[in-house]
Amino acid sequence: MSDYDKIRSVAVVHLLNRLLSIRMAIMLPILILFIPGMAWGFSDPKVMLPGGITPSSATEVMFYTSLGIVFGATMCAVLLSFDGVSKDRASGVLEIKLSQPMKRSHQSTALVVGHWLAILIPTWILWALSFIIVNYRMGDWPSIVDLLTSFLSVALILLWYVLFSLIASTHAREQGTSIAFGVGVWFLFTFLWALVTTMVAFASGVSIGEENDPKWIDLEGLLDLFSPNGVFHHLLETRLTDIERGVSPIVTWVVAMVWSIIPWYWFNSRMKTIQP
Amino acid sequence: MSDVVLELEDAAFRHSVSSRSLSKPFGRKQGSGIFSINLKLRKGQILGLVGPNGAGKTTLMRILAGIYPIQKGKIMYNNSKSSQPSSISEMELRSVVGHMPEQVRWQGKTTVKRTLIDIAEMRGVSYRVDGILAMVGLSEMKDSLLDQLSQGMRQRLTLATALLGSPEILLLDEPFNGLDPVAIRAFEKLLDELAMKGVSIIISSHRVAGMVHIVDRLALLHKGQLLIEGTLQDIESEFQLDNRIEVHGPGEMPDFNTLISDSKSILESRNSEHGWTVVVRNKDVNLLEKLVSSNIEISTWKAKDTDIVEMICSATGLELEEIGFNVVSSTMMPYKNRGEEE
Repeated sequence: MSDYDKIRSVAVVHLLNRLLSIRMAIMLPILILFIPGMAWGFSDPKVMLPGGITPSSATEVMFYTSLGIVFGATMCAVLLSFDGVSKDRASGVLEIKLSQPMKRSHQSTALVVGHWLAILIPTWILWALSFIIVNYRMGDWPSIVDLLTSFLSVALILLWYVLFSLIASTHAREQGTSIAFGVGVWFLFTFLWALVTTMVAFASGVSIGEENDPKWIDLEGLLDLFSPNGVFHHLLETRLTDIERGVSPIVTWVVAMVWSIIPWYWFNSRMKTIQP
Repeated sequence: MSDVVLELEDAAFRHSVSSRSLSKPFGRKQGSGIFSINLKLRKGQILGLVGPNGAGKTTLMRILAGIYPIQKGKIMYNNSKSSQPSSISEMELRSVVGHMPEQVRWQGKTTVKRTLIDIAEMRGVSYRVDGILAMVGLSEMKDSLLDQLSQGMRQRLTLATALLGSPEILLLDEPFNGLDPVAIRAFEKLLDELAMKGVSIIISSHRVAGMVHIVDRLALLHKGQLLIEGTLQDIESEFQLDNRIEVHGPGEMPDFNTLISDSKSILESRNSEHGWTVVVRNKDVNLLEKLVSSNIEISTWKAKDTDIVEMICSATGLELEEIGFNVVSSTMMPYKNRGEEE
């Protein structure tokens, strides 16, 4: 059996364990409510969003539907993978796995891929369903590039949260610490990042919340690069022509790569030195 | 003498432990571990690794399982194709070693067979699962969920994972924990069969008595040091723990000084509400005859088992109170028989 086959087999084991778990059954209704549910609501021809905004295209509707990814799917990613390593470590199974003739870097790759696919597959299915719903309600399809960008962005944000949770799981010796770290990171980037942005703006002398102030827009755009949710929205905004927040698409994609590579490298390093 | 399969040359490993202070909030220092271990494992041999809690048994097992990298020394492996042992990497080590850790708490809604297949895929040997399940007596339980397993069944499953891929070397860390007497017997028989087939086995335990009849050699570990290695007879002989007889009898203790010319032969004597107990060195072959002819009633006459505490006290020349069985990482033990500080 080649290294690739081993990685694939072990990743499938993790994938099936998570995909068929009770917690997935609990989270699936939440995902359905957040993703296709939001798509249905935002594609209503009579919808009026705060600020008098009415989405006029499928891409725009899906941009607003991405809130379901930020609030629902990322939380599910955390809840699905927070004990990816710590559970095996606490039970002693990790010692058995570490004593197998499979490189630790390969084991960590299989862990990441397995957990990532476990949340990505249902989310992508619901995301695709949302496009169908939007087309049904509005009669509009996004372009192929818009579709690819949105699916790729969803995949990346889920990867980041899976990586954060798995890193926490390697550091935690028991489940409580691991879930506290995962949920804490999620809470920081989902709810508290606005506070961080506000504080930095205040310290920089920029008017807070002035949507027409270019300085505020640029600062918010810049600080969003330091948050996975912010980068996710930057990625989606690369396909929206009427939004300009001072960050070029190239910078956005480079930052997205950095958000993917550094946590993955960190997790891989942790797995190389982890002790049972 | 059979061939050496695995050899440790001055192997050392110390755990990195937290050592925080105001000036160094993330400071770390070297903690407990093993120090300069030299050990040989031969083909088809069963080696018992004994020592009290914190002796370094599990650390040594994890080094041999390729989980901990050694910091000093070498691990040499001799496969059947070469005549001399050569250095082996951790990855290569993992492919020839089957490791059974202590007390794995299998849990979840996965079946026994599925779990074994999952581990087997990491070894690339998933097709051999059914035979191994039969070997450890889990065939009937193969479709049971992990949550339904008793502790003994979990031990069997852990053993099954160690047997995956027919390893040349088997490492068993406290394997008898949680097993009932019937399962222990079956387990011992299985180990015998594996050894006959040429599998080399290391069994770690804090109890000598439980495994003297299955091991070929014993290695005594304490505070990270290998105090002695050899057959039980060699070790008992070196520490003068051989030829000891334990005699029990009812009532008051008789005067053994009149029966045994050398009073130093009386190693231990005590009274209890059930009678008396004396431990003597059996130099006098006629002692039993003398006891009977003196009308001394005896209820038990047996060879005294050696335990770890006696071995360590003998090896170090210290009393139990002096040794202190608390786990101290940095304390090096003197080795009386070599007449030197380790």
